[in-house]
Amino acid sequence: MTAALNHLHLFVPEIFVASMICIILLVDAYVPKAINALTHQLSQATVIGAALLTLLNQPTETTLLLHNTFVSDSLSVTLKMAMYVLMFGVFVYSRSYLQQRGLLKGEYYVLALCALLGMMVLASAAHFLSLYMGLELMALSIYALVALNRDSAQSSEAAMKYFILGALASGLLLYGISMIYGATGTLELKAVSDVIAEGKAESKLLLLGITFIMVGLAFKLGVVPFHMWVPDIYQGSPTAITLLIASVPKIAGFAMLMRLLVDGMSGLHSTWGDMLIILAVLSMALGNIVAIAQTNIKRMLAYSTISHMGFLSLGMLVGTNEGYAAALFYTLVYALMSLGGFGMIILLSRSGFEAENIEDFKGLNKRSPWYAFMMLILMLSMAGVPPMLGFWAKLAVISQIVNAHMYVLAVMAVLFSVIGMYYYLRIIKYMYFDAPAENSPEIEANTDMRWTLSLNALAVLGLGLFPHTLLQLCQNSL
Amino acid sequence: MNLETLSLIIVLAPLVGAIAAGLLPLSRTAAHRTTISGVFIAFVLSAFVFYQVTILGHAPFADGAYTHTLYQWLSTGGLSFEIGFMVDTLTTTMMVTVTFVSWMVHIYTIGYMKDDEHNWSDDSLGGRNSYQRFFSYISLFTFSMLMLVMSNNFLQLFFGWEAVGLVSYLLIGFWFQRETAVYANMKAFLVNRVGDFGFLLGIAGVLMYFGTLDYQTVFSALANTPDEYTTKTIEIFSGTEWSVITVICILLFIGAMGKSAQVPLHVWLPDSMEGPTPISALIHAATMVTAGIFMVSRMSPLYELSLTASSFILVIGAITALFMGFLGLIQHDIKRVVAYSTLSQLGYMTVALGASAYGAAMFHLMTHAFFKALLFLAAGSVIIAMHHKQDMREMGGLKKYLPITYWTSLIGSLALIGFPGFAGFFSKDAIIHAVHVASDGGQAGATFAYYAVLAGVFITALYSFRMFFLVFHGKEHMDEHTREHLHEPSWVVTYPLIALAIPSVIIGAIALAPMLYGNYFEGAIVMAEGRNAFPAADFHGVLSFVLHGLMLPPVYLAAAGVGLAYFLYGRESAIPGQIKSAFSWLHKLLEEKYFADRFNEIFFAGGSLKLGSFLWRIGDRNIIDGFMVNGSARSVGWFSEKLRYVQSGLLSQYAFAMILGLLFFLVWFVHG
Amino acid sequence: MTSLVFYIFATILIFAAIRVVTVKNPVHASLFLVLAFFTSAGIWLLLEAEFLAITLVLVYVGAVMVLFLFVIMMLDIDHKTLREGFGRYFAIGSFVAVVVLLELYMVFKAKGSDLATTTAKAMAEDVPNTVALGKVLYTDYLYPFELAAMLLLVAMVAAITLTMRPRRSNKYQEPSKQVEVKASDRLKVLKMPAEKAE
Repeated sequence: MTAALNHLHLFVPEIFVASMICIILLVDAYVPKAINALTHQLSQATVIGAALLTLLNQPTETTLLLHNTFVSDSLSVTLKMAMYVLMFGVFVYSRSYLQQRGLLKGEYYVLALCALLGMMVLASAAHFLSLYMGLELMALSIYALVALNRDSAQSSEAAMKYFILGALASGLLLYGISMIYGATGTLELKAVSDVIAEGKAESKLLLLGITFIMVGLAFKLGVVPFHMWVPDIYQGSPTAITLLIASVPKIAGFAMLMRLLVDGMSGLHSTWGDMLIILAVLSMALGNIVAIAQTNIKRMLAYSTISHMGFLSLGMLVGTNEGYAAALFYTLVYALMSLGGFGMIILLSRSGFEAENIEDFKGLNKRSPWYAFMMLILMLSMAGVPPMLGFWAKLAVISQIVNAHMYVLAVMAVLFSVIGMYYYLRIIKYMYFDAPAENSPEIEANTDMRWTLSLNALAVLGLGLFPHTLLQLCQNSL
Repeated sequence: MNLETLSLIIVLAPLVGAIAAGLLPLSRTAAHRTTISGVFIAFVLSAFVFYQVTILGHAPFADGAYTHTLYQWLSTGGLSFEIGFMVDTLTTTMMVTVTFVSWMVHIYTIGYMKDDEHNWSDDSLGGRNSYQRFFSYISLFTFSMLMLVMSNNFLQLFFGWEAVGLVSYLLIGFWFQRETAVYANMKAFLVNRVGDFGFLLGIAGVLMYFGTLDYQTVFSALANTPDEYTTKTIEIFSGTEWSVITVICILLFIGAMGKSAQVPLHVWLPDSMEGPTPISALIHAATMVTAGIFMVSRMSPLYELSLTASSFILVIGAITALFMGFLGLIQHDIKRVVAYSTLSQLGYMTVALGASAYGAAMFHLMTHAFFKALLFLAAGSVIIAMHHKQDMREMGGLKKYLPITYWTSLIGSLALIGFPGFAGFFSKDAIIHAVHVASDGGQAGATFAYYAVLAGVFITALYSFRMFFLVFHGKEHMDEHTREHLHEPSWVVTYPLIALAIPSVIIGAIALAPMLYGNYFEGAIVMAEGRNAFPAADFHGVLSFVLHGLMLPPVYLAAAGVGLAYFLYGRESAIPGQIKSAFSWLHKLLEEKYFADRFNEIFFAGGSLKLGSFLWRIGDRNIIDGFMVNGSARSVGWFSEKLRYVQSGLLSQYAFAMILGLLFFLVWFVHG
Repeated sequence: MTSLVFYIFATILIFAAIRVVTVKNPVHASLFLVLAFFTSAGIWLLLEAEFLAITLVLVYVGAVMVLFLFVIMMLDIDHKTLREGFGRYFAIGSFVAVVVLLELYMVFKAKGSDLATTTAKAMAEDVPNTVALGKVLYTDYLYPFELAAMLLLVAMVAAITLTMRPRRSNKYQEPSKQVEVKASDRLKVLKMPAEKAE
């Protein structure tokens, strides 16, 4: 029993978040009018506290605990820190949006923190069961969040679709896991990896398992052809929830890829690498091309997500530590840009008005040059224009592809990036070269939102000028 | 505090000043105080570093190193791009010179830009805060120049190179409401682009053959295995083999030709006088234009391996030194005379580089920085006094109105022409001596260069004193109104003049022994066997150098030039007109600056316009726009429209798509 | 003997599962589902997993399916719309199903007889099934087990968030509001020009 409790300090952040969730639930229920201040502040405190605890309790080496179901290594620390930062931003951006629409309930914070907890579990998963539980914890919370605006038919429909498709994907994932269990006789990722390396497992069964697992993963990432939910859910959810879905879970998605494919099944790299090639190419193609036809910016960003996830898969499929580092870099960068992008949409919307259409960005430069500039940075970064951070992310991935001699893939990646530029630049064109629509009101936002959003966009620019720090961090995490 | 931190502060202090003055809503006083303090800090610390490194001979960084990498900006594919400093005697000399002149110019600017709002139309947005903007720019320039000289790698060198180019562009076109200013800054930018293109190719060459951008690595590779690089050749046109070193050297030098305004890339410098005078002094006389000279000196280990490149440099420099001097003879704009003299002096420095006398080039660079900044600021002082009139034909007899300006100009002019004992005397004589030695050594082009620089001495004296006599002596040609208001400008203008006049006199005598004959540049500059024109044994004290110089032709040529100038412009002022009409074709040739501008306009500008419009018609409009861009855009758009219908919104179809995907994977991978 | 029982259960299970998706009446469909649960509980009993078998019956049949039946009966479903498209998708759906089945068959056929070699370790003989399960749950699988608890919490919170509405039919007084009220909120004094007698 004592052996199970060794290194338990590495598990403290999770315990802290779980405890805070319960406290917030109680506070929200019993402290009157807690919504405006206390719940929000407690949630932020949870995120900050978890960040501090994670920083204080860093593992010196890869450490397995809780009967090999939980792993703590530098990767998990990096991923969790990224999640906290993004979650902090999400809370700041969402607050007034939800308040204006009467959605700012204590449950929002509880569910969001539960999702965070699920993602933290994913980042530290060392066992198929803990991975699956983390996944469901995250997914179930998000399903509920999507339906948060329960009086909106659109939101309910989105939640329903997400729930059913998500359940289907979970089923497929579980089926795959059971196959792997059948082939290897264990559910511990490390042990699975060892069995595969020793060549003891029946290969057909393994292939069957990895195929199902890959489908489950692909669904969570939202890559073609398992992407269908993405645009509908992005568009259907309240923007604040889309913001959440579009940022933090991408880190969790990467965590899943790393834990399942690299930690658990690196021996099957040739198979899942090929699968990722197909998924990546399809995603980049479909995502970039269909995004062009969109008029709704949330939907457009949804397709852009699909293409970015395709790009991320490119980094994974190389199968080297440098490749994973590039993919991690890409993920962090994308999540940061996505946070900023949806933050801008929230900034422009006000009660009774969603800035959902690309046309709502018309003439933003005249109305607010500063935020137009921030959006410019974000869009250029997403398009991959130097010196923005997005450029370095794309460069990192493409250079890994080139190093692996996959030139055709590299050319395709560049080609689709160029196509993708069109719709990002279109937003810039609307902002700078078109006249604003009549009676477009002043931008109103809290001070904390203004500062955080500016900081977010400037980070994309600033880190782009000095990309090495972040890249080094990613390399050190692997 | 260690020197790593100090170096960083030296670079960042002007940058902070520039950002504060440029972006924060500061008042005029606050803006100039901030920037001047920034540059002052940089100067004081530079002087300290100079003392530590050059005088005491300490290595600046840990473990006796002269280079220090501050930050790795990026590493990709085995290449790392870094930001770092190389601080040796060469660097410290430049640092002190740059920061000192810049500091002087900052102070001077307070007076010069005092009434700047008159230069703008009332409704112009540019006129608002133009004072602060100007200070921001010159501080930014100082930062860029420091980045350039302190760099320890080619990437940062290129950054500084481009940054000074950018700031120069901004400053030449500072009064962007004037069409001439806009034309001039565009011209400067475009001509510099030509040079930069060569420069970039040169850097690419270094990267290709050395696999690194770090100076130290390149230099030690050259020092350890020179044969490996000198024997390597590259085929540029089929059938011609070029030595790689020569190609790299010449490409890098093309960059230097752009920045240091060597023929034929000199055309931008005279036009750059459209900018306010302080920047003419700072950028187009003392610092930026010397970047090319500095760069070649820095790359001396590279240039020493290619005599071909050296001769190329020598000839280009000689042409510039002589022929640009001629142009100074017929100018009427006071600043343009100084500008042409700058061109000619840059030619001298380049000649020295070509003769492997890097020390002499740096020596002249330094003395020139002081006296040319002095001359420019004096010209500016005259311009202020004349209410921003620059035509020398409207001046004359200013001696009694502007005594300080008069005497400091005299000092500057004497230094420029090489009056014995003044700063320019030592450096110019040294260059001529070096070329003489090279000519004796049989270097290709050296004999031509020798006679060119000798003739240049005469020309220099002639146009310098022509200007001097026209402006300060003779009849007063200005109108009544101007005459009444003639007086010496305020102390912020005159103090820098005095402060610059002092080194213009003495710096030559002080620096002669260490910089030329001593081991001042040891470790920083490399000279091949037998290329050193100044062995320590030849040195017998400053006085004997002066005495020796009195017996050489340059002194007499200079005296003859001054005499002729006095005769033509001080006494018989009718004669110049007669000469002009007698040699009208020659005058026309000089007036049109050897038709260089016209040629560029017709051949390069016109030719590329024609080529461009041809390519645009055929290539762009039809093939690229019509077929490739619009064609692919249309097909992508079409696809996009079709594909969006796949997204039906029906849950069952979504699920079905997933199952189909799964099925595909199963068939492909499990049984594939 | 065991295998005979197994095949009987298995046949019934497959039959029931097919009927769940093919019968027209949703009430019948859920009853078939109940049957499917029962038979799979029987199969689990054969595998000596008696605790799980009983839990299956208790939880799924006793609670979940009963709830289902209530929901179906309360939601007056139009059977016709429910079955629309069934025919349309039947062909392609069954094609996909057949292919998937074939795939699986081929995989397991290739697997052959050594399926047994990698199965999990056998149940301990001396401890009752329930005890063994409990021991494992609170030791080896403590972490996933705790996570499951969190999951249930989320489910609870989510269900309440999405369904509970403060009842408007409740009539009660809020004294604070009553005290705060001002005359101007209740009473509007209009100024009217006095009519002049002409």
